[in-house]
Amino acid sequence: MTLTAPVVPQARIAPPSLTRPIIMTASALVLGAIFILLSPMDAETTFIFNLGDTFISIPDWIVPSRTAATGFAIAALVCAAIAWPINARRGSLFLPAFGLGVFLVMSFLAWVGADSLLPITGLLQGSLLLAVPLIFGAMAGVLSERAGVININIEGQLLVGAFLGAVVASLLNNAYLGLVAAPVAGALLGLLLAVFATRYFVDQVVVGVVLNVLAVGLTGFLYSRFLTEDPDLWNNPEVLPTIAIPVLSDIPILGPILFDQNVIVYLMYVVVTVVQIALFKTRWGLRLRSVGEYPEAADSVGIEVNRTRFRAVILAGAVAGLGGAFFTLGSVGAFGREMTAGNGFIALAAVIFGRWNPIGALAAALLFGFADNLQNVLSIIGSPIPSQFLLMLPYVVTILAVVGLVGRVRAPGADGIPFRKS
Amino acid sequence: MSVYKLTYLEVRVRKSLGVLAGIGAVSLVLAACGSTPDDGGATTAAPSPTDTTAAPSPVLPPVKACMISDAGGFDDRSFNETAFLGLEAAKAEYGIETLALESGSDADYQPNINQAIQQDCSLVITVGFLLGDATEAAATANPSVDFSIVDYAYEAPPENLQGLVYATEQSSFVAGYLAAGMTETGTVGTYGGIPIPSVTSFMSGFYQGVQYYNEAKGTDVDVLGWDPTDPEKGTYAGGFDDQNQGKQIAKNFIQQGADIIFPVAGPVGLGSAAEAQANDGVSIIWVDTDGCISASQYCDVFLTSVMKGIDASVKASIGAVVDGTFSNELYVGTLANGGTKIAPYNEFDAAVPAELKAEVEQVTADIVSGTITVTP
Repeated sequence: MTLTAPVVPQARIAPPSLTRPIIMTASALVLGAIFILLSPMDAETTFIFNLGDTFISIPDWIVPSRTAATGFAIAALVCAAIAWPINARRGSLFLPAFGLGVFLVMSFLAWVGADSLLPITGLLQGSLLLAVPLIFGAMAGVLSERAGVININIEGQLLVGAFLGAVVASLLNNAYLGLVAAPVAGALLGLLLAVFATRYFVDQVVVGVVLNVLAVGLTGFLYSRFLTEDPDLWNNPEVLPTIAIPVLSDIPILGPILFDQNVIVYLMYVVVTVVQIALFKTRWGLRLRSVGEYPEAADSVGIEVNRTRFRAVILAGAVAGLGGAFFTLGSVGAFGREMTAGNGFIALAAVIFGRWNPIGALAAALLFGFADNLQNVLSIIGSPIPSQFLLMLPYVVTILAVVGLVGRVRAPGADGIPFRKS
Repeated sequence: MSVYKLTYLEVRVRKSLGVLAGIGAVSLVLAACGSTPDDGGATTAAPSPTDTTAAPSPVLPPVKACMISDAGGFDDRSFNETAFLGLEAAKAEYGIETLALESGSDADYQPNINQAIQQDCSLVITVGFLLGDATEAAATANPSVDFSIVDYAYEAPPENLQGLVYATEQSSFVAGYLAAGMTETGTVGTYGGIPIPSVTSFMSGFYQGVQYYNEAKGTDVDVLGWDPTDPEKGTYAGGFDDQNQGKQIAKNFIQQGADIIFPVAGPVGLGSAAEAQANDGVSIIWVDTDGCISASQYCDVFLTSVMKGIDASVKASIGAVVDGTFSNELYVGTLANGGTKIAPYNEFDAAVPAELKAEVEQVTADIVSGTITVTP
C-alpha cells in the first residue's frame, strides 16, 4: 500500500506545545519541595535491595532522610529540565517522564520511610505479582477493543479462568493441566460475548455486564455445591512451582523480581510481546485494527469484519482466562468465591490509561500494582500518611498522567459499534 | 437497507435479547441457588407432628428464623459460616423453620431483609457490622418482627432489635501473648479487611497481648500492621475477597521479619496461609473459627485460632424467641461466658512449650477474673 503524504508548507507547523514540560517541571518543583520539607532532619532511611539469596548481594543503603529526599528531588528536576530541549525537537518524552516519576517516588520513599526499613526489591516484586492478573486482563481488553468490541467481561473471564483452572488442576492433580483449562473457560465466556456482539448486535456493555453476573452466579453455585462439599477432591490444586531462570535470576534487584517466578509470569512476558508484535507488525494485526477503526473500509477491501471480531473476542477471552489462573494456580491455590475482587475492571482502566496499546496497558497495570503494594508496605512500616490517601494515589497518578503526559486518549474508531453489513 | 432486511434484523435482535434475558435469568437462579447452602429455603417443610408436640410452648405462633449474610457469603469459612451453623443447630434443636438469604454485595442487604419480612419470618438475623444501618431501619419499620444482628452494638436499639457482639479483644489478647512467646524473629504482624470495630477489636487485643508479654518478660516483640494511636493507619486489605492481596501482605510482613501473622480479613487470610505454607517457620493465627476445621488444608500453619462464638449466640437468640424471652439487651460474648476463646493448638500442640501453655491459661484466667483489662 502506498500513501502520498500531503504536502504541508513548513511555515504552517505550530511550535511544539509546552504543556508537557511545564507540567513535568511544576510537579518536580512542587512535589519535590513537599517531600524535602516533610522529611525529618535527624532520621535515617534504610533501603534494602536484597531479596532471598542472589549471587551478588547489595549492601543495605542507609541515608539521612532529608538528604536523600533532596537528592532525588534534584534528580527529578534535572529530568524535567532535560524534557525542554527534547520537547523543542519534538522528540519522545518517555525517558525524561519515566526518570521524573522514578526519582519523585524515591524522594517520596525517603520521606515516608524515615526511621524504617524499605525493602525496595520486595516492594517491586510484590507490585509485579499484584499486576499480573491486571496485565492479562488488559491484554484481553486491548485485543477485543482494538477489534471494535467493548469488553466489560474481563472480570468474569478472569473469574471462570481461576475457577476452572483450580478445579481441573485439583481433579487431575496437575497444575499445568489446570493452566490449559483456564484459557478454555475464558474463551467460552468470550464466545458468548462474541456471539451476542457480532451475530446478534446486542449492546456490548449490557452483554458484558450480564456475562459477569453469569460468571459470578455459575462459579458461586458450583463452589457451594461441589467445592465446599469436598474440597480435597475439587478445590485442592497444587500451586505452580517457582522456576528460577539460571544466570538471569542472579542479577541483583532485577533477578528476583523478573526471573524467579512461576510459569504464569513468564507466560505473561510472552503474551505481552506477542500481542504487541502481532497487533502492529503482522497482517493479522492490521486487519484486526482495521475492523475496530473503520469497519466499512475494511469490509470494502474484503475483510470479514464480524468474523475477525468474533475470533479476536474469543482470543481475548482465552488470554483473560489464563490470567485468571494466576489467582488460583499462580498464587493461593484454592478457589474462593468472587476472588477476582474487581481486578477485571481495574484492567479495563489500564487499557484506557494505556491508550489501547499493549505496552501502554502493561505500564499502566504495573503502575496500579506498584501503587497497591506501596500502600501495603507503607501501612506495615507505619507511614505518616493515612491509608485512605495512599489507596487514592494510583488514581491521582492516572489523572495527572492522562492530562499531562500521555496526550490525547483516543479509543479505536468503531469501538462498541456493531457492524451491520448493508 | 430493504424493508425485508430491517424486519429480519429486528427479529434477530429480539431473538437475541430473549436468549440474553434467558442467560440473565439462569445466572440469577444459579446465584440464588448458590445462596442457600443447605435446604434452608422458603420451601422447608414445617415441623413434623412429632416435633410440634415436642416444641416447648405450643401456644406461641410457629417461629421462623431467617438469616441474611453479608457479601462474604455463607461459605466464607469465617463468621458468616459460623452464624449459619448456629442457625442450623437451632433448627435441629427447636424444629423451627429457617430461611437463609445470601447477599452478593452491599446493595443486597436492604432487599434481602425486606424479602425475609415478606416471607413471614418471626426473627431476622443479619450477619455483620455492615448490615447495621439497614437492620435498624427495618426493625423500626417492622415492630412485630424480632431482629438480631451479629457484630453490632446499638446505643439505643428499638425493643425488637438485639445486638450480638463479642469481646474478641480478650481472646486476641491471649493469642497475642501466645504469638509473642512463640516468635523466633521477635516480629509478628496483623492486618484487617477494613477498619471497622468488629475487625479492629481483634487487632487491638492482639497488640495489647504482645505488649503484656513484653512487659512481663522484658522482651521487645514488635507488632507490624497496627498503630495503637490510630486504627485507620493499620494494614488493611481493603476488603474481604481478594486472596491474592492477602498473600502479598503476608509476603511483605515476612520481608519485614514477621514469622507469625494474624489476618482479620475472612477469606483474604487464606492467601496469607498459602504464603505461610511456602515459607519455613511462618505460622498464622486464624480468625473467627477453628482454622483446622474450616480451612483444613492449611492446618499445618495454624498456630491457633481466635474463635468467636457466633453460632452459640445466634442459637441462644433464636432460643429466646422460641421461649418468648427475647429482649433488646445487648449480648456480649466474653472469655468468661465462652462467647469468644482461642482454639486448640492442633498440629502445634507439641511445638508450644508447656510453660507457655500454662502462662496462656493464666492470662486467660486473669482476663476472666478482671485482673487484666483489655480495651477494644
